[in-house]
Parts: sequence; C-alpha cells; structure tokens
Amino acid sequence: MTAPTDNGLDGLPPVEPYRPTLRERMSGWAFWVPIVFMVLFFALPMALTVVFSVFERTMFWMEPGFTLAAYENFFFSARLENFLSSMGYSLISVVVSFCLGFPIAVFVRKSVPQAAQHRVVLLFILPFMVSEIIRIFALRPVLQRNGLVNETLINLGLIDEPVTALIYTHTGVVIGEVLSFMPFIVFAGFLAMEAVPKFIFEVCDDLGAGPVRRFTDVILPLAAPGIFAGAVFIFVNGIGVALIPNILGGPGAVNGGLIATQAITALDFPLAMAVSAIMMATLMGLLYIGHRLFDLTKILAPMN
Amino acid sequence: MNAIHPTVQVRQLSKNYGSVQALKNVDLSIAAGEYFVLLGPSGGGKTTLLRTIGGFHKPSSGQVWLNGQEVSHLPPDKRPTAMVFQAYALFPHMSVLGNVGYGLSLAKLPKAEVRDKSIAMLEMVGLKGYEDRRPHELSGGQQQRVQLARALVLDRNILLLDEPLAALDAQLRKDMCLELKHLQEKVGITFIHVTHNQEEAMTVADRIALIANGELVEQGAARDIYRTPERRFTASFVGENNLLSGTVASVEGDTVTVQVCGQPLSVDRRDLPVSTGATVALSIRSELVEMVPEDGSASSADGLSLAGTYTESVYLGLTLSHRVALSDGTQIVSRVVGESDAPPPVAGSAARVRWKPGALRLHIN
Repeated sequence: MTAPTDNGLDGLPPVEPYRPTLRERMSGWAFWVPIVFMVLFFALPMALTVVFSVFERTMFWMEPGFTLAAYENFFFSARLENFLSSMGYSLISVVVSFCLGFPIAVFVRKSVPQAAQHRVVLLFILPFMVSEIIRIFALRPVLQRNGLVNETLINLGLIDEPVTALIYTHTGVVIGEVLSFMPFIVFAGFLAMEAVPKFIFEVCDDLGAGPVRRFTDVILPLAAPGIFAGAVFIFVNGIGVALIPNILGGPGAVNGGLIATQAITALDFPLAMAVSAIMMATLMGLLYIGHRLFDLTKILAPMN
Repeated sequence: MNAIHPTVQVRQLSKNYGSVQALKNVDLSIAAGEYFVLLGPSGGGKTTLLRTIGGFHKPSSGQVWLNGQEVSHLPPDKRPTAMVFQAYALFPHMSVLGNVGYGLSLAKLPKAEVRDKSIAMLEMVGLKGYEDRRPHELSGGQQQRVQLARALVLDRNILLLDEPLAALDAQLRKDMCLELKHLQEKVGITFIHVTHNQEEAMTVADRIALIANGELVEQGAARDIYRTPERRFTASFVGENNLLSGTVASVEGDTVTVQVCGQPLSVDRRDLPVSTGATVALSIRSELVEMVPEDGSASSADGLSLAGTYTESVYLGLTLSHRVALSDGTQIVSRVVGESDAPPPVAGSAARVRWKPGALRLHIN
C-alpha cells in the first residue's frame, strides 16, 4: 500500500493499542460487592435458619443435633391454623390495598398534570415520616371499644352497642396492614403506570373500550409487573411483620412473624427458626406455583 | 352516504384553553372521498381542530357535522371517524393481529370474522405475514401501518391522521406519503391529515387548509396554494418565497406600483382594495427570481427587477441559492436548478434580481 501523502496525518506518532486505566479495570469487580454482601448477610443466615430449626432446644439457647420437635410443635398446634388464617387475611389486605391504592395511582398518572404528579405521590411518603409503631398504635384510640369510630357511630345514633370486632381481631390487623402497606401499592402502581402510555387512553376512546375493558385488557396486563411486585411485598409483610398483630391483633389474630417473636420470647429458638423456615418455604412455594400458572418472567417483561 | 351534505362540516368552531384561543371561529367543509390536509406551524391549532372533529376535545363553541349529523356531543367511538395517532400508539402487549382486531372484538363481532377482517386489512397495508409480531419488533413505518389497519378495519368513513409520519426519517416519510395517497384512493374514504411538513402535505393532498394562530388562513388545491397564495402568511409558509414590504406609489387599473427600497415595482392588483400610500406586502417564489450581475444595462424602469448587493451562494445539490441584499437589509433569494461551473460573483459586488411579469404577488395585511 502506498502511503497517501496529502491526508494531513503524516508525521504523527504511531497509534498505540488502548490500555484501560486502573479505574476501568477495577470497575468490573464493583459488581461483585453486592453479591458478596447478599451471600454473607442473606443467603448464609437463611441457610442457618433451616439448620438451627432442627437443633435441640436447651434452657436458654440450643445445641447441635437433629430433631423435628420444633416442626411437630408448629404443625400439631393452633400455630398452624393461625399461620394459615394469617395468610388468608394477608391476601385480603393485598386485595383491599390494591382496590384502594391502584385507582389512586391510575388517577395520578392520568389526571394530574405531569409537573405535579411527583408531588402528589410524595404525599404518600409523608406517613412514613412517623414511626410505624406509633402509626399503628394510634389506631387503638380510633378503633377500640370507646374509640373515635364507635363514639361517632353511637352519637349519630347508627348503632346502640359499640362494635368490638374492629380491634384485637383479624379485622383490626387488616385495617393496620392496609394503613401501613397501601402506599406501596400506590408507589408500585404509579411506577407500573409508566409502562402504560398516556395515548392509550385516547386509543381506547377511539376504539370504544369502556372503563372495564380498558382496565382488564390494557392497564392490567401492562401494569402487571408493578402490581405483582406491590402485591408480593404486601403479602410477605402481612405474614411476616409482627408489629401489627402485636398491637391490633388478639387471640388467634396473629401472623407468622408474631408466632416466631413469641417463640423467641419463650426462649424456644428452634421453634422460631422453624417458623421462619416454614414462612420462607411457603413463599417460595407460592412463587413457584405463580410462576407455573402465569410465567412470572412474562409478567415482569410484558413488552417482550 | 349522504349526497346532499359534505362528509365533514365545521361551523364557527372555537376552542379555548383558559385565556388561550386554540381555534377561532373556524369554518371548514370537506367532501366525501377527499384527501384533506391541515397544514400549519406547530401550535397553530391544526391538531386541536383534528381532535375536535374526532371527538377527543369538546368545542368551546361551534359545531361539527359528520355525514350530515351534528356530532359535537358524541364521544370518539360513536363518531364515523377513526384516528391514526402520532407514532408509538400501539398496544405494546398485543400482537399485530391483536392490535388490529381489538376494536372489532370490542364491537362483539364473532372471533373468526374479527380475524378474517384484520388479516385482510393487514394485507391491504402491506403487512401480510406480520400478524404474530409484537409492536416493538416492527420499524416505525410498520407500526404506523398497523395503526392504519387498526383504524381502517373499523369501517368508519372518515380517517383522521395526526402527524402520522412525524417520527419517521425523511426517506421513509416520502415513501409512506405516496403509500398513504394510494391507500386513500383504494379505500375511497375521506382522509384528514395533519402535518407541519409542506412536502408531505403536497404529496398527499387533494386540498390543503393552512391553519395558523387558531385561524383557517387559506384553503385550496396544493398547486394553487403553492403558486398563487392569497395571503402573505401562506406565501411565507408554503414554498420558498421572498417577502418584501413597500408603499403603494400609484394604482392604475389592474397595475399597482409599489415602492420597495426606493425602487418601483409593478404588480397585478388582483382586485384587492389598495390605495396610494398604503403599506403592502409582496411575495415572489425564489425559483422565479433570476440574479444577474449589475452591469448598468438593466434598469428599474419596467418594475420587474431590484438592484442590490450580492452576498453569498448556498449549494444544495439540486439547487443553488444566490442571496442578494437590498439597501434595507432584506435578503432576496434566487434559486437555480442545475449545475453551473461559472464562478460566483465577488461578495459585495452590485447585482440585480429580476423576474417575469406576473411572478410577483401583492398581499394586503
């Protein structure tokens, strides 16, 4: 090849191969940090939970061994029944939160001006500025026998006797869970609605899709990943957060988290570990069934 | 179809957003089977007009009549209109066939019929074999074809197109323009097409209406809008017109003499009410202007030329534009087709722009 002499590039030093800087070479390793963290502080403790659950119970701790006593204790007592009913009531919390929260998310996306949308959503963060324990505890004077709700209803002459089912029952727990977790559905729904382009409402207007068809055919499939994420979050917390049934629940109105907490209080550590392991297995089982039924990867990537 | 009434009649239509008037008393009539284009600058009100015809906006005052019926109170799906939106308006989670058939299945047609009609319509828009694709697997042009099929399959007799080609690249837009035109000729229904691109408008339109500042400025056949614009705004928006302003020096019969930069120009009066001393606008398309070096032989006596200073030439491949500055700074562009190896004049040298009788047009404000 004859070197062109008139391209203005002559006399420059030869082109060196590119050498990545130290920072560029290190950046690849940065992705391993969260994996190491998760293995050390999540996967390992979870595995240990299962291991500890078959250990022998001692007076104040436990010693290595293999016994299914903790599981027997769980499955052949009222604990199983309570656990199953807490799953049912968590599901109710999910549905109620969804019915109340998702329309808010749709409304904010659809009808609030773009510039104001994030401010409106910010309003739903405000309750989180107050500690959950205080928020939940503040429900007591509202729901209890001579609380705000009952007093108001009696003064209005709508009821003669105070309603006692509002607190220290499953109803109270559901109310507390909805209060605590509904904002997550609003968030999740708000983000999920990002996948629903605004023009779609106009296309629906043009094609004649009414509110119901619009919701079932268009919004629901497109927002499914966000809705699913929010629903799983609420369900898991409904089963696991001990605080709410501790304050608003009562006899029988407990959940998995509270059963484990009570076991710890009673210094029965293998039982607490077993309850944790069962909760984990239950959720994984439910996720697996969900995956077999709906193909979660499809739900999580509706565009593909 | 109703033979007595035009397909679309818009009467005294106004639309206000707060204190902003998006449409001001627009009157418009579109015949059955016509390809009608609403052309104008962004924010001029053309999309608002289209959406009001389609039922997506409620008019503040005035009426919309479609097929001889007053429809101002009807929602979009109850009107004989179907809309093709700007790009990316497909249901992302449905297949191409699902998108096209969705409107029909809402109308509770039997599944087999929905399928047959959708497939036939996809074939019509040239997307046979794409039934099972998802929108994100299609190019921008293909997505707009799906939208066309989705709208046409509804069997409504007015198709509204809101900047349907705006998101496509230039070459594809040209091809799609022709396809749209041929499609309209094939299906024979009324198309109303909104665009800000005049080449697109002229390619497809039977008639063009120019919309700006919420007003219908002018309407007519593409050729008339281009060659004989009535209003100054039309001249400024369509084609590449030189605009001049001057003072009427005299009116003699059909000929008006206008003083521009101290030089007399004669122009046809076109029955406009002009009087001596009035300020008027003049327009002339750049391809009708010829630039010659000023050698002292030509003069302004015939009123068909102006003296100025040559500034520069811009080479655009097909055309070459020479720019000449008048004494008040106004730039006159002379556009020439064809290659010329002659060296351009020296910048700053005296030049003269001239044209044939009848090329210059008079506008009153």
